[in-house]
Amino acid sequence: MAEPVEAGCEEPVSARDSPPPASPPSGPAAAAETAEEPQVAAETAEGEAAEPGAGAEPKVAAQAGEAAQGQEGPELAPADAEDPSLQAAAKKMKLEMKEKKDKKQKVDEDEIQKMQILVSSFSEEQLNRYEMYRRSAFPKAAIKRLIQSITGTSVSQNVVIAMSGISKVFVGEVVEEALDVCEKWGELPPLQPKHMREAVRRLKARGQIPNSKYKKIIFQ
Amino acid sequence: MADEEEDAPFEEDAEEAGGGLDGGQGKRKRLFSKELRCMMYGFGDDQNPYTEAVDILEDLVIEFITEMTHKAMSIGRQGRVQVEDIVFLIRKDPRKFARVKDLLTMNEELKRARKAFDEANYGS
Repeated sequence: MAEPVEAGCEEPVSARDSPPPASPPSGPAAAAETAEEPQVAAETAEGEAAEPGAGAEPKVAAQAGEAAQGQEGPELAPADAEDPSLQAAAKKMKLEMKEKKDKKQKVDEDEIQKMQILVSSFSEEQLNRYEMYRRSAFPKAAIKRLIQSITGTSVSQNVVIAMSGISKVFVGEVVEEALDVCEKWGELPPLQPKHMREAVRRLKARGQIPNSKYKKIIFQ
Repeated sequence: MADEEEDAPFEEDAEEAGGGLDGGQGKRKRLFSKELRCMMYGFGDDQNPYTEAVDILEDLVIEFITEMTHKAMSIGRQGRVQVEDIVFLIRKDPRKFARVKDLLTMNEELKRARKAFDEANYGS
């Protein structure tokens, strides 16, 4: 399969040696990863609420509680640096943030390690398929031409990158659904048009295929 | 190709397989045949997928991109497609959303790394 490798396959440049932590091969992994972040945030929020109970003033507890809710960016700007209780709260928040980041990095590293172990135990055919999965991509020039022919104006490079990426995920969803259909009907790959059409019908029912051709009339 | 008749009523935008120089409506050359074959193999299909299946997928992808582009043009800054619009449209779909975020982050990192590399070269 030497030719398909050259034709229209893009190398995710940094991806070969150290697979980037967050390019999950399957849906559950992606969903799990996005689910992990709010979980970690929830855990640290609970930690925040539990700690002030250990012999601190109610003022610190109120501050910590408030700070824990707006946790996203580094919100460590105590209004008056003279108040020692505020300083203590700020330091605590900083530590919590650092812990959260460390925990997240550790989770990423775990994931990287697991992926490496998995890939190292692939058979020849599986390795081939995995390489095709990672390396195949839409040609940026063609996508850019297509988008520009629709908009009539030029588009930035990031738009092309985003659109190519989303399209690849879209192809993956359709192919996976079609493989499910194929298996359910007791047939074997390669996929036939009837599997693809049934897959598209199912995805449309789930709302995963954008269709702006019919306007919904809500009230008559 | 007999399956053209099956495909055409299914695909609302009548894009038939190109090949003829008829200049008929919607006769477009296949844009992504090779890449789509690699992709289908990567996602689990056979090593040689059927051409008809690849054609259906290509039509689907082109329709998808067209829909997204039209939607992106209608929100945010009208008449232009910007990354923020795409991210907004994708927000409900966890897979695509995560993928776009990763791609853009990686792109930034690569740009930074290349810039630093070039500056290092220039210095030495």
